[in-house]
Amino acid sequence: MAGAETLVEFTRELREEGLSVGSTTAADLMTALDQVGLASAADVHAAFRCLTVSSPWQLEVFDRVFMRFFGRYLTEGLAMTAPPQPRSWTIRRVQGGGVEGDGDDAGPETETFTGASWAERLSHKDFSELTKIEQAQVRSLLAQMMWRPAPVKSRRRRPSVAGDRPDLRRSLRKCVGPEGDLVKLEGSERRRRPRPILFIADVSGSMERYTEMLLYFAHAARARLGRMETFVFSTRLTRITRQLMRRNPTEALSQVSTSVEDWSGGTRIGECLRSFNYDWSRRVTRGGPVALIVSDGWDRGDPAMLSQQMERLRRTVHRLVWVNPLASREGYSPETRGMRAALPHVDDFLAGGRLSDLATLVSLLESLPERKK
Amino acid sequence: MIPRSVDEVTAAFAEHRYLTDRPLAVAIHLSRSLSRPLFLEGEAGVGKTEVAKVLAQVLETELIRLQCYEGLDANHALYEWDYARQMLAIRLIEAGGGQARASVESIMSREYLLARPLLQAVEFSSSEGRPAVLLIDELDRADEEFEAFLLEILSDFQVTIPEIGVIRAAAPPVVVITSNRTREIHDALKRRCIYHWLDFPDLDREVEIVRAKVPDIDDRLARQLAEAMSDLRSLELFKPPGVAETLDWARALGVLGASQLTSEAVSDTLGVVLKYREDVEAVTQRGVESLVRTSS
Repeated sequence: MAGAETLVEFTRELREEGLSVGSTTAADLMTALDQVGLASAADVHAAFRCLTVSSPWQLEVFDRVFMRFFGRYLTEGLAMTAPPQPRSWTIRRVQGGGVEGDGDDAGPETETFTGASWAERLSHKDFSELTKIEQAQVRSLLAQMMWRPAPVKSRRRRPSVAGDRPDLRRSLRKCVGPEGDLVKLEGSERRRRPRPILFIADVSGSMERYTEMLLYFAHAARARLGRMETFVFSTRLTRITRQLMRRNPTEALSQVSTSVEDWSGGTRIGECLRSFNYDWSRRVTRGGPVALIVSDGWDRGDPAMLSQQMERLRRTVHRLVWVNPLASREGYSPETRGMRAALPHVDDFLAGGRLSDLATLVSLLESLPERKK
Repeated sequence: MIPRSVDEVTAAFAEHRYLTDRPLAVAIHLSRSLSRPLFLEGEAGVGKTEVAKVLAQVLETELIRLQCYEGLDANHALYEWDYARQMLAIRLIEAGGGQARASVESIMSREYLLARPLLQAVEFSSSEGRPAVLLIDELDRADEEFEAFLLEILSDFQVTIPEIGVIRAAAPPVVVITSNRTREIHDALKRRCIYHWLDFPDLDREVEIVRAKVPDIDDRLARQLAEAMSDLRSLELFKPPGVAETLDWARALGVLGASQLTSEAVSDTLGVVLKYREDVEAVTQRGVESLVRTSS
């Protein structure tokens, strides 16, 4: 059925398609063929699959490549795997995309400016009123923001003199030395790590003038914190965590824009939160995150659904913060249907239309108490 | 009998009342013949842990289980000194004023070491003459630091204890790793494993599973249950029920003396199958009678 060259070619093709297939895989496949024989194509299919696939999304890719290589040898039907993917998984592999940029010295974004007055003025200007040059300046300021969310106690422990639990291993080690004495007990305390942040941003039409700046903020936060789960939604939810991993913000955002299919469409916040709750929450809400929902609250969906899903979301996260860019405006009050449905479930309601508002958000995150509100 | 082919794996598992589909049997066979850990991923309740248990029975060896949790570290997974005994020993030495040097050596010996699952698995083959089945359950609950540590252990199955030396496995244990996918496990680890995505069984297989596991069940009830389950899984539930729930359901109905599925029986026992209020509401609103098929 297949010579060594075909198998090498086959593994190369799988690697091209994004599977993490190593250089020894072809040899593994040969060994596997010895084991299962050639009598049943289904066995060969299953054997090759369990040696090359390492994640559910790859099952479909594998089946496609397998059929292309070995389909003509098949005399029987194969049990192909319907990929058990989350229903709202809309991330595609972005074609092209060039090299990994080192965003540290990328163009006009990181020009340095002197003087505080322009920054002061900028920080109180609504994002929707910024000129092109001011936008670049705000982006650079966003990238320079230094902050870190308040810590959470980890389950891991570290040595500490004033710790709340004795560290017997260390105590005993110490008393073995020349001045060995059993009197002194070494202590340990729980380690601390920054609280994880979950960023869920509205990118529907009504948010258009704020989306870019807020995603720049998300990108800068991701870079600062190392890791941050990020989603965007309008009529459907898209996870953009991987796209934001790119260091150059412009490249990262262009990747985001190619992977979001309903950019600037209408808004169905309730349904999108539902798909977050059902398909994602169990996978991305470890470690007690603070969830930031960034949206103006204009919603064409069902308010009852929104209220229900907000309630569920609030139970799965440590704290639920709603950031509304419109709230920066003078005389704003949360009158929209969506906003009214969501507000009762929100721990904090903040404005988010200006740089100074984001500074307020950051100081909230920096001072979060360890206990749930 | 140690299975030596895919067919023998299927047969041996069936003998222990675990019905594998063909791809799972292939994965199990390859993991054995290539000596690689078997990495099972899938929804909760599809029978991942059970694979390891049955594999231990098939191989007629012991199952050593490491349940993962957040904060699990080397001390809990590998070994720990028995401090209380060591302290007592030191007290005794002090009281006796005896040969200090020899005594220090003695309290740092194997005798004062508590073996945790990973060390147990490494030592098992030396003492018993055959490898154990090591189940690393719900790896997704441990953190990344533990994953890195595990990677090191799985690559050569030897444990270095500074005070004692290197303990090496005479024959590496048969490793089964499970994950509920509450987070993505790192590729570096998965690449060293035989990967299998365990899905919900199809209707006929689920009927067989129910009949194998709950032998005194009425044939018609078994089929009705499987059908109701496949209906439930097609609804958009927060937590679709697994095979474990099907079996619980079958047993619950057995206890209640039901010989077939009725709307009342479903309402009485829905809590066995659905564990979230939203899900129970969604099903009751739709009408529990929609789950009951009388034609078959």
